[in-house]
Amino acid sequence: MNTVLSRANSLFAFSLSVMAALTFGCFITTAFKDRRVPVDIRVSKVMLKNVDDFTGPRERSDLGFITFDLSADLQPIFDWNVKQLFLYLSAEYATKSNSLNQVVLWDKIVLRGENTKLNLRDMKSKYFFFDDGNGLRANKNITLTLSWNVVPNAGILPLVAGSGHFSLPFPDAYETTKSY
Amino acid sequence: ACSRLIIPSGNMFSIFKSIPTHMDYKGQKLAEQIFQGIILISAMIGFVYGLIIEQFGWTVYIVLAGFAVSCVLTLPPWPMYRRNPLSWQPALPETSGESSQKPQESLKKKKHK
Repeated sequence: MNTVLSRANSLFAFSLSVMAALTFGCFITTAFKDRRVPVDIRVSKVMLKNVDDFTGPRERSDLGFITFDLSADLQPIFDWNVKQLFLYLSAEYATKSNSLNQVVLWDKIVLRGENTKLNLRDMKSKYFFFDDGNGLRANKNITLTLSWNVVPNAGILPLVAGSGHFSLPFPDAYETTKSY
Repeated sequence: ACSRLIIPSGNMFSIFKSIPTHMDYKGQKLAEQIFQGIILISAMIGFVYGLIIEQFGWTVYIVLAGFAVSCVLTLPPWPMYRRNPLSWQPALPETSGESSQKPQESLKKKKHK
């Protein structure tokens, strides 16, 4: 403490310790928060195709096309420990070969400060809804769920499923469009 | 003027060393208390403000402002940190030094003899 350098050193070290404590405080004030919000998912159209699947040994697989509406108010999720949300829409269903299949159909990044009211109409899925067989045709229960990763400034990276699912049966025949 | 031309390169640092940065002991304690207080207060203000407006960035900015203020206040050796200088014993007059050396030399000479 008797020279400029030694004072600068202890000043800097103390500031860093205080900053670390503040960051921990930022984490602890938001760690036990419920980050679920209600989500409204609707499907307006479903098309089912049976197409060549070049990724596997099987010659033809089921490919679904879903047109969906999505509305949710994400504002309650955001606080001072949230930098961005990674939203993704996934379809879950059971087939004969697998009791649980999960396919991500669509995703979106919502940065802090962006519009937090989702109101999407007639959205097409970003990614192919491929089954690894013929499990989509006449499947009685395919459930769409919107989930999100909360990317924080400090602390854990929670994975939250929105409350509000949409379950739908798939058409019984290929190349037909089913409206809901 | 001639002696300035023959300055060795090491003298660059002696210019910096000639700047007084010293604080006395009570001044050092005071400086430490001041910067700790400023940073802790700015941290508390920043935490509450960031929590209210939900922007952690502002918390960081306010702590950085406290850091800058305490740098200005405690890094330079302001006069308030030099009010309690140590009371050294007075320097002995040089004549006595010369006189004290002389008997030693005479002692050595005596030993050689």
